[in-house]
Amino acid sequence: MIRWDVIRGNLPLLGSKLVEHLALTVVAVAVGLLISSVAVLLIRGRRPLVAPVTGFFSFLYTIPSLALLAFLVPVTGLSFLSAEIALVTYTLLILTRNVLAGLASVPPDVLEAADAMGYGRTRRMWQVELPLALPLIVAGIRIATVTTIGLVMVTALIGFGGLGQVMLRGYNFRNDTLVLVGFGLTVAIALVVDLGLGWLGRAITPWSARRSS
Amino acid sequence: MTTSADHGPRAATVAFEHVTKRYPGTDSARLGAVQDLSFEVPAGKICVLVGPSGCGKTTSLKMVNRLIEPTSGRILIDGVDAATQALTELRRSIGYVIQQVGLFPHQTIGENVATVPRLLGWDEDRRRERVDELLQLVGLDPAVHRDRYPAQLSGGERQRVGVARALAADPPVMLMDEPFGAVDPIVRDRLQNEFLRLQANLAKTILFVTHDIDEAIKMGDLVAVLEVGGRLAQFGTPDEILANPASEFVARFVGADRGLKRLALTRVASLELRPAVTARAGDNAGDARQRIRADPFEYLLLVDAGNRPIGWIGQRQVPTSGTLTEDMAAAMSPLLDARTTLKDALAMLIDAEVQVGIVVDERGAVQGLVSADEITAFGRRDAEVRPA
Repeated sequence: MIRWDVIRGNLPLLGSKLVEHLALTVVAVAVGLLISSVAVLLIRGRRPLVAPVTGFFSFLYTIPSLALLAFLVPVTGLSFLSAEIALVTYTLLILTRNVLAGLASVPPDVLEAADAMGYGRTRRMWQVELPLALPLIVAGIRIATVTTIGLVMVTALIGFGGLGQVMLRGYNFRNDTLVLVGFGLTVAIALVVDLGLGWLGRAITPWSARRSS
Repeated sequence: MTTSADHGPRAATVAFEHVTKRYPGTDSARLGAVQDLSFEVPAGKICVLVGPSGCGKTTSLKMVNRLIEPTSGRILIDGVDAATQALTELRRSIGYVIQQVGLFPHQTIGENVATVPRLLGWDEDRRRERVDELLQLVGLDPAVHRDRYPAQLSGGERQRVGVARALAADPPVMLMDEPFGAVDPIVRDRLQNEFLRLQANLAKTILFVTHDIDEAIKMGDLVAVLEVGGRLAQFGTPDEILANPASEFVARFVGADRGLKRLALTRVASLELRPAVTARAGDNAGDARQRIRADPFEYLLLVDAGNRPIGWIGQRQVPTSGTLTEDMAAAMSPLLDARTTLKDALAMLIDAEVQVGIVVDERGAVQGLVSADEITAFGRRDAEVRPA
């Protein structure tokens, strides 16, 4: 079923689409994390704002991806920007929730001790809260990344879809090899990224894993 | 850096001046509120804030390092109003120990202990030296514990690290909020004793919060009893509070066994010893007989050449003539020393079924006698005003 000559003939295409797939994903998660972090900084300590903001991100999350693309194309065109807007939109809920949960997981006695020893607000955030929130934040990044890798397939419809476009081309030309390779590579990078971020999550928390005696 | 272990003050006075904390809402007796609190803790003393839950003792403590800001009144540290000091600087100069310890789980023990020195900008060599010194001070082996994480330590070890961290920059004032509340009673007792031993050298000014009156009596040079609503019910030495409770509330709070608690607090050294009638083997029996007759206590204490007790000879067993011999000594009493608490002394007397104990010095020589009646009378007596 798989024709190796097709793979060999399309190696440059596969390579560039793989890179594009990863680039779309990384940019989406990075921008999503930035927006989520800013949102969390704004709503933290302002309890009445939490529900509206997370509610809005929940609402965005429920919009079907195809519908969102159909809505975006008239505005931002068949562009990288349209693809990224769609991809970023679906990371916001997951990332915001996990950043909030991460910060909420810092024990209150640890925060009290930090205050009492004379940490300023900013220093406390960077040196105490963030490191302790990191496991849950990384867990959120892991889910968001794997989700985004899947969603990139859909943005192939507007011409920016990485391996999704490989599959689409295979489908249009009745070329089963390209469909299978596009599918296989997508699953493979999703798995590698999932395992990699899982490992990273444990590597940055040596204090909770190791427990001697 | 001018704030350092070498140049910083070792202790400071802490004075509350009409400190009030009200929380929003109409109920003035809201839990944790504090009402017109005034007292002064002299430099180098431990002052225990004790009272039932909701009496405002933790609130009072947290107003010193301004984790909570007072509604009105002032807290002076060595005469300087805490409210006028820069917040982070104030806090870095005050040690803080809490029940849950609050160690940073993501930092090693060494990094945890070095927290305030790091904030103060000490260089790495100096921090490392200080960490090792402090770990040893609190009874932990730096080589074993320095690079471990808090999750790898027992509750008692974590609590010691908490104390080491609070002491890191040699702060003149320490605040301790139920620091030994989360460990089992045996470990607590050991940590209390170790801490008192440390404090004997450190001589910090310490505000210590507990709900346990026994801990307050044990740890405090001074005790402030608070009642719900945040009013100071009594302020004084443990002995004054046990001997003369200022109100019905204080009397009930210190408990019906306050007489016994006073005995646990007082050592034999503070009693006036009754002189013992002693004689050595070989002494003239007739003379000895004369001497006991003049004494209300009808026993002669036979001692050796070093004045160490051998045993009692009853008045009737002393021969009218000849010399005294060691085999005449029949009964013996428990030996007490100046450091024995009156409670322990009483227990030893009851246990030995005798009325009188013999107080000896460190060489074992007789200093005098203490009777069970004198001890129990002390438990009922008014407090002597001791210099604070």
